[in-house]
Amino acid sequence: MSTEPSETPTAARGSWKDLPQNIWTSVFRHSLPSSELGQAQTSFTNFFLHIHPVKVNRHTLKAGYTLGLGLMSFFLFLILTVSGVLLMFYYVPSTTQAYDRMLDLRGSVAFGTFLRNMHRWGAHGIVAIVFLHMCRVFLTGSYKKPREFNWIIGVLLLLLTLFSSFTGYLLPWDQLAFWAITVGTAIAGYAPLLGEKIKFLLLGDNTVGQEALLRFYVLHVVVLPMVMTLLIAIHFWRIRKDGGLSRPPEADVTPGAERLSVQVVSTPQGKQAFGFMGLVRGPFTKVGNVPENTVFSWPNLLVAELFVFILTVAVILVISLLFHAPLEEPVNAMHPPNPAKAPWYFLGLQELVSYSAFWGGVGIPGLEVLILMLVPYLDRGSGGIGKWFAKERLMANTLFLTFTFLNIFLIIIGTLFRGPNWEFTVPW
Amino acid sequence: MKLALSIASLIVLVVHGVVFYDQFFHKWERYQTAYFDQARSQARNDAERAELSERSPRIEQIIVTQFGESRVDRCGTCHIAIDDPRFAGLGHPLKAHPYSAKLGDVQVNGIWQRRHKFSDFGCTVCHEGQGRGLTDHYAHGEDHYWPEPLLGYVVQANWKKEFQPHLKGKDYMEAACAQCHSEEKFAGTPQIARGRQLFFSNNCYGCHRIEGISDGTLGPELTEAGKKFKVDYLWESIVDPRAGMASSFMPKFDLKNDEIKALVIFLKSRHGVNLTETSLSQYRTRLHATGAPASETSTTLAAGDIIAKGRKLVEDRACAACHKIGEKDGGIAPDLSFEGLMKDDKWLVDHFRNPRVVMPDSIMPGFRFAEADFQAMSAYLMTLKTAPVSASQADTFQALCARCHGDKGDGLGKTALYIDPAPRDLTKVAFMNSKPRERFVQSVKEGVHGTSMPAWSKVLNDQQVSGLVDYVYATFVKEKGRELKPRNVPEKNPVASSAQSIQRGEGIFLARCTGCHGRKADGKGPNSLDIVPRPRNLRNSPFVTSLSDRRVLEAILYGVQGTAMPPWVDYGLSVNDAGDLANFIRSLTQKSARPQLRAGNQTWQQNEQ
Repeated sequence: MSTEPSETPTAARGSWKDLPQNIWTSVFRHSLPSSELGQAQTSFTNFFLHIHPVKVNRHTLKAGYTLGLGLMSFFLFLILTVSGVLLMFYYVPSTTQAYDRMLDLRGSVAFGTFLRNMHRWGAHGIVAIVFLHMCRVFLTGSYKKPREFNWIIGVLLLLLTLFSSFTGYLLPWDQLAFWAITVGTAIAGYAPLLGEKIKFLLLGDNTVGQEALLRFYVLHVVVLPMVMTLLIAIHFWRIRKDGGLSRPPEADVTPGAERLSVQVVSTPQGKQAFGFMGLVRGPFTKVGNVPENTVFSWPNLLVAELFVFILTVAVILVISLLFHAPLEEPVNAMHPPNPAKAPWYFLGLQELVSYSAFWGGVGIPGLEVLILMLVPYLDRGSGGIGKWFAKERLMANTLFLTFTFLNIFLIIIGTLFRGPNWEFTVPW
Repeated sequence: MKLALSIASLIVLVVHGVVFYDQFFHKWERYQTAYFDQARSQARNDAERAELSERSPRIEQIIVTQFGESRVDRCGTCHIAIDDPRFAGLGHPLKAHPYSAKLGDVQVNGIWQRRHKFSDFGCTVCHEGQGRGLTDHYAHGEDHYWPEPLLGYVVQANWKKEFQPHLKGKDYMEAACAQCHSEEKFAGTPQIARGRQLFFSNNCYGCHRIEGISDGTLGPELTEAGKKFKVDYLWESIVDPRAGMASSFMPKFDLKNDEIKALVIFLKSRHGVNLTETSLSQYRTRLHATGAPASETSTTLAAGDIIAKGRKLVEDRACAACHKIGEKDGGIAPDLSFEGLMKDDKWLVDHFRNPRVVMPDSIMPGFRFAEADFQAMSAYLMTLKTAPVSASQADTFQALCARCHGDKGDGLGKTALYIDPAPRDLTKVAFMNSKPRERFVQSVKEGVHGTSMPAWSKVLNDQQVSGLVDYVYATFVKEKGRELKPRNVPEKNPVASSAQSIQRGEGIFLARCTGCHGRKADGKGPNSLDIVPRPRNLRNSPFVTSLSDRRVLEAILYGVQGTAMPPWVDYGLSVNDAGDLANFIRSLTQKSARPQLRAGNQTWQQNEQ
């Protein structure tokens, strides 16, 4: 197979012998690239790969910089979608059937336990990984101009991830689910003016029951995934349009090479290799202004992505093999566990709620989210982009880490150190 | 990078391998293959051998539709030899289900015929468990929280260690037998018959309703107890009623382990329906249902017959499950051995009709017996007039008082937990020395209204009462009290009762008293749980009515020493304030003008107008 499309149609009709070849080449226009042109074309013409730039900055590929957290979040989202869709074939959002279906999944459905394990641990994982991804972005100052809006999308995605996980929590319809949602929605009820209304809208009733189950189900399997898919698409799109991943200015220059404002890129064949993909305005790749310090996405970026993918899948698979997703007793509205706890990522909130219903449940988290959204506009300095713990960003990073550790601390207190009647206990 | 990538890929591959192996190479296939091999070697002829060679492992399932909701029982997938008598001696899972005449199996020409054919009954109808499961862990219900674990065979890990060993054994399967064989005297279910008898003899029927058997209303309905609860929960609820629900007032009955077991099996057999019944036949049985043991006669009986009948009723209906009557002592409720000396006929009948009319905080159920039965039982109790003879004051105390007040006089007798208001702690020096001696003499002689303290004046003569009080002072109080200072408390309430006074009293009550006495004045305020003795229930009408004005005012103004009631005169209440409060408290228990407690005064005024 040649790396280039055939030059001229040699005959009006090809031979039948070429049929498999014809089908193959009609689907895959390029074989595995062996030249730089091929590498460029592969990324550029493949639907699934065209989200990648043809060339990426070397800095982007540094594992220690991104830690692959964004990709992990995305792959977890994919794993959750696939396992979730498979689970949907067995699940019935009815208070009388849901729990029985859970038992079926564990006892008699092929791969049922394993699928449920993957979905449950994946869901816990994505909450943690998305949060870590946010930490990475903040600590490297990556939300700064021109990436302010992408940061906001990211915060929205974090909230949606939490909400997806929260809505999914109810679906097994066991004691854990029921009381976690009862506590979680009670926290929502503490909002001033609209709190009770929001709670009612969410539950479709005054207590957690059939209506709530159906609403949570629809939110969990249709509404939230769709919104998230859209926002993820925008999130990725913005990465390209904002000039790739953030990096320090010096990363655009090859050490020792002079940076030219205009450079005609030529290929050995003397052809223009990059088409019109760069002919757009903005702070990104332009023809003739190709950053020096770049490598082709194929195979460098793709191998990195593959690595993160395999790693994510491997971790989820191993965890799912070793640990079973918990399933408690069926719902018994008369016997609340003591203490009734929200899902772990809301236990920080619940801990705060135990001090003050309004401030813990609404005031402080509301302010935190608001400040988080406004961060790129409040922090206007342009220094320290693309470096972990940059000296210029000492104050911002310190503030952020203080809040982060405070939240983690509250979650740990709420998860491990709270016993019956929310009294302080020691877990050992 | 490449190394890491290949390791990660290898892990993915291995996990896939394990998961797929788990999913497609089942234990049950091995069991079945083993069965085929062994059966082939024991085959009598070639045809049989050929037939066995034909068979390959597959899921064996029985769909059972005749017994309630349809079931899918796949137990035969592992237990492949259940119907093959040659495998009787083997171990599980390749073991034949035993044949037994007890189960109705019969031998025809030396070959056993099952009464309960697996093709009709499946397995889970009798054994419970999860018929659809294909791994033993799930199918047997060994998992935590799994509903319907194998009856009598599987103990779930989260069941309490103390009674786990009691929850195993074939006896438990009787609960499943009774799903169809619900006859009272069915020979195959002796434990259930025993449990049913215990249900009556321990007076469970007084509080719990089981459709067609009993109709108590104080406790939870148990018609479907077997469907709702697992055996561990049933056991725990009998042994320690407060373990499951802290607010339960169900007494701890004095039961032996085998009695508890019979009761648990009886309750486990309660599913509310008979599996063989159609909804039509259920309707028919309900129409002809005979309720709890009912009075059989309304004809007039001679006085002696009435007493004999009453005696029989008191014995049959297990009053002694809680009360003490002669030798029998349930250890929960007051001693009725000489009830005729302490109560009168009217009190007894009133109390039978609704115990809470005369004893507002009593936990005794209001039995739904016929009026004639109440009369007869009262008549019998009124004949119990033999005062006990005791040699010494100490003996008198042990015989009459210790059951409630405790051997040490600390108010912790065996019935104390169930008696509300609780028996007085006679060792509390502060209280005992703050009241004049006459007060205690009076309490013994006349009793304390609205409480379980009866009037002893017909049981003990004045001399004995006086001696008993002396004994209490000498043995329990010990400290000699100082001379009581006369307190400046008016004999009569200085404030005449009026709407305004009651309204003022309510205001003070809401501001000062609700923390302990509660917003309903029922003694159950938020602080009440931390206070011993508990705050008074001020809605206890017989008690409040029996108090003199002076005593109410003194308790408010000067407090009650040895309790949490403070002297309110030190906190700014005047005699008139106390008078208003007294009027308010009395208004709560007067039938003519019973106000609703409201936070706002306006509502109160509107109510008055």
